[in-house]
Amino acid sequence: MSTTTPRLAGESGKRQSGKGAAGGVTTPPDANAPAQHQPTAKSRHSQRWLAWIFLAPTILGMGLFTLVPIVASVVLAFFRWDIISAPTFVGFDNFSEVVQDPTVRVSFLNTILFVVVAVAFQLGLALALAVMVQEKMPAWLRVFFRSAFFFPLILSAASVSIFMRYLFNEQFGVVNWFLSLVGIPAVPWLTTPGGSAAVVILVYVWQNFGFSFLLFIGGLASIPVETYEAASIDGATGWRKHLYVTLPLLSPTTLVASVMAIISALQVFDQPYVLTRGGPGDSTRTAVMVIFESAFQRLEFGQASAIGVLLTLIIMAITAAQFRLSKRFVFYQ
Amino acid sequence: MTGATDGHLREITRRTALGALGAGIIGATAASWPRLSGTDIPGRGDNSLSIAIMGTAADAAARQRAIDAFTRLHPEIKVKVQAIQAVDWKDFFTKILTMVAAGTPPDVVYVATEGAQLFAEKLAHPLDEYVRRDAADMTEFFDDVHPSLVEAFMYKGSLYQLPMDWNAANMYYNTTAFAQSGLERPADDWTHVDFRNSLAAMRKARTSDFTPYYWTNRLFGGVVPWLYANDTSFLKETKSTGGEWLWDGFYANDPSRGLRSGGYQWLEPNANDDRVFETFDYLRGLVKDGLGVRPEEGGGSSLVGLFASNRIGTTPAGGYWVQGLHEAGMGERDFDVQFFPRWKTQRHQFGTAGYAIMKTAKDKDAAWEWIKFSSSREAMELIFPNPITTPARRSMVNEQLYSGKGPANWKVFYDTLDRFPTTGPIPAPPQQAAVETALMKNVSLAVSGDERQLKQALASMQRDLELALRRQP
Repeated sequence: MSTTTPRLAGESGKRQSGKGAAGGVTTPPDANAPAQHQPTAKSRHSQRWLAWIFLAPTILGMGLFTLVPIVASVVLAFFRWDIISAPTFVGFDNFSEVVQDPTVRVSFLNTILFVVVAVAFQLGLALALAVMVQEKMPAWLRVFFRSAFFFPLILSAASVSIFMRYLFNEQFGVVNWFLSLVGIPAVPWLTTPGGSAAVVILVYVWQNFGFSFLLFIGGLASIPVETYEAASIDGATGWRKHLYVTLPLLSPTTLVASVMAIISALQVFDQPYVLTRGGPGDSTRTAVMVIFESAFQRLEFGQASAIGVLLTLIIMAITAAQFRLSKRFVFYQ
Repeated sequence: MTGATDGHLREITRRTALGALGAGIIGATAASWPRLSGTDIPGRGDNSLSIAIMGTAADAAARQRAIDAFTRLHPEIKVKVQAIQAVDWKDFFTKILTMVAAGTPPDVVYVATEGAQLFAEKLAHPLDEYVRRDAADMTEFFDDVHPSLVEAFMYKGSLYQLPMDWNAANMYYNTTAFAQSGLERPADDWTHVDFRNSLAAMRKARTSDFTPYYWTNRLFGGVVPWLYANDTSFLKETKSTGGEWLWDGFYANDPSRGLRSGGYQWLEPNANDDRVFETFDYLRGLVKDGLGVRPEEGGGSSLVGLFASNRIGTTPAGGYWVQGLHEAGMGERDFDVQFFPRWKTQRHQFGTAGYAIMKTAKDKDAAWEWIKFSSSREAMELIFPNPITTPARRSMVNEQLYSGKGPANWKVFYDTLDRFPTTGPIPAPPQQAAVETALMKNVSLAVSGDERQLKQALASMQRDLELALRRQP
């Protein structure tokens, strides 16, 4: 057990095998280490306690606010509960009802389609802009672009969506006004299935690509200049450098960015909820919206939990698949 | 932890003491777990009467005046009003339910028609015993309030709320837009055909940056007023028996006594009714011909600004709009209001709101005293000093309330109930949230495409409503 105890800073290299050492520690003795600095068993024990005390708030917080709700949510998926009455055990009924519910099925399909399109746009845009910003330009301009692209991320998604709802209003929105200047008739952005989906994706990507952009900036900075110089000597120019040097060497960053973008997109809620309330029809209804509606509007907390469990399993499966695929497509320097 | 037994007596070091302290806190928390709830948070567990209303800090002054007046009358009852900010009533009820889940339910909640039956079914305590007990005090209130409003708060023969304010879906129109189109004030009994002709005239007079008819996709003021006018609805409306104690006790001589019941019931969907199709087809025609907008789901937040800037010809709304238009700069003659157009009937839709006592209320008698006080003329004048809504008391809907703000024909507001006594509440069964979603999500599709799409949307609505009504509230 003691071999799994986290080492404290400064402890490394000072352990002695033999007397009093915690069982199983095989660090070779350091002949030059002064004897008075060797920690006794008692002090090591105290240090372990200290470590646990320092870790306790985090462990307690994680336990109370993450682990307990997760377990409670899974348990709740097997009950019918409306907050007001006592919960009733219903076995797998919630899961079978959820799977048969056409709205839930459509919302999951919408979510998957949303992830495919939004994440592709998000990563593509972020990568393209990161490469452009890394090109030669004045430092102040680079700082400006970095800030400008990251800025939407710090805004409230609900506020942005309310604002965008005004912009995309069919009759009085600024977007249609600009389109009218070039002779394009008013587009029913938020009242047709295609238009609504397009606006939700657009708003989501605009607000979220900044995070992927920052990751790519970091990834690009870590690629050695010598690699590009070697590629130049070999005759690579322009796009070929990016295709054969940037993309392969950036693949670990791309993996991280895509995992985070997909997990985030699978949980999209604010934008479709504020912009379209999931409509028209169910065209922009997402999995998390259905969880919210089930729990807080219809008081079906058991069903909401069942949908949540299914969504979690999907997220875990997709993430596992990404990491499995990464063995073939990700190159570590 | 082999190091834990080194043969020496343990010394209580500072670290050990800290560890013990941490373990003690965790242990104490665990030991007291069954008793912990939101009320254990300091400041939440006192004995004051907790009242939840939908509102913002902006209404605080009027609210405080009412609280002060109540405290003068009942110094023994400490009142705490929580103004909860919400986008709409559904959002507000969600927050109340969250408070219930947290173990901090308010004692009294201001509930609108949208949630009246949900609260009556699950959360609220009936007022019957209190109304009977204080019948002498309540007679004056009921004399001043139209029975249609009271009936909206009857559920299975019991009364759960007293109406404080209400609004019917009347038709607002921009007088400038009407004048520019050569239109005069419509007749009281104008029809849906007259209405369409008016829209066409406005469209002809103003071709750009103007919408003759703006409507929203909501339970109130959306498609429902048109359905009511066409003598139908998207849910089959029935009434439960009971309630004679109230009607015979307070409305025995009312001309509409025979219409009154133990409360509305919406038990079955009705989206496949021919008149529902006819109504949607009419609205689809307005959209197709550029006379009306495609309604956004839950839209309406920008409506006041658009109407006040003369970019909307007509829109359904109630008395709650007057103050907003006044603050947006509209003069009292810049707009006016008329009854909703007649179709097969001229039955209107209304929504109302009032206080409900929660089943969990610690002191229900104190809660009733607050409700009784709030229903008094004195309190309602303090709470509704401006036309931000239509007061439930007929005597308060007067010249003074609308003076300098308009509309010229403000009498339309209360006349709606008197002239059309079958005027009914927003259809809101206990499963209101699911029902509203089923309606709203299909409306845009129904009015945006061809006839085939309309039929598909109504079939989808029927199916969604069946599912919604099957759910337990």
